[in-house]
Amino acid sequence: MLDNLYQFKKELNQRGIFFCFSGPLSQDLLVEIGDTLRNKMKQEEASSSTILKVFSMFVEQAQNIIHYSAEKIPLDRPDKTTLSSGIIVVGYEGQHYYVLCGNAIDNEVVGTLREQLTKLQQMNKDELKRYYKEQRKKDAHESSKGAGLGFIELARHSITPIEFNFQPVDNDFSFFSLKTAI
Amino acid sequence: MDNWKIEATKHTPEIYFDATNNVLSMQGESYPENVDQISQPLFSWLANYLAQANPDQALTVNIELTYFNSSSSKMLLDLFDRLEEAATTGNHITVNWIYEADNDSAEEFGEEFKEDLEALTFNLVKQ
Repeated sequence: MLDNLYQFKKELNQRGIFFCFSGPLSQDLLVEIGDTLRNKMKQEEASSSTILKVFSMFVEQAQNIIHYSAEKIPLDRPDKTTLSSGIIVVGYEGQHYYVLCGNAIDNEVVGTLREQLTKLQQMNKDELKRYYKEQRKKDAHESSKGAGLGFIELARHSITPIEFNFQPVDNDFSFFSLKTAI
Repeated sequence: MDNWKIEATKHTPEIYFDATNNVLSMQGESYPENVDQISQPLFSWLANYLAQANPDQALTVNIELTYFNSSSSKMLLDLFDRLEEAATTGNHITVNWIYEADNDSAEEFGEEFKEDLEALTFNLVKQ
């Protein structure tokens, strides 16, 4: 791996990837990474509106990992928190920033998630806006964990339709990945 | 009522009630892992305020959030619904949704909240 690390880094650069993280993710880490990404984009003279949109996509995707990754370990703390793992990539290609994330999910949720994301993929911006407002209203009054609203927001703000993939891992898990662009 | 304040953190806004001017303000960014850490104290303060307030005394709510995540967006909708209900029953409440001119996301969010409100005065304030 030591020899290959440079090769790996070169491959990331060739794909326009300027940030890549794989491992256990926490809210504190998310805050620090988010700050660093914003500083980096500011340095590249991205507009403040673009910086906010990329940051927003990063936060939604990272918090999805924190809330929903099936790869998690319990922490030895009284509040029963867990540490969730996933992978997050931020890159720049064809004049657009993109955010890519992935995490393990239970095989039993693949069907529902695929259905939900396919629906979002096929909606136009007006339909997405209506659906977002409808879902937000529902969630706000039913105190659901909010699965879905984050995805709708990602779909609304992505300049290309969201792309996603489910890779079977074993009998219990699949690997879910999602790409959005600004 | 007394002044009341929740200090800002890197991922939660400052929330402050200025009792002298009857102004509630929320300022900063909001993307906590669990939005209950803001909504619970805020909504319990609000319930208490509405129970005690003289309806004729105008309440101003200034919201100036440069960024908020999707679960904070739900919390804001919940807040505006509560304020709308209080406005419907006769409380004088004005919300100022304050945003920077180059923050088109904040502008769009403000417009979308405004669309569904009737009794509550909701101003979009570009800075």
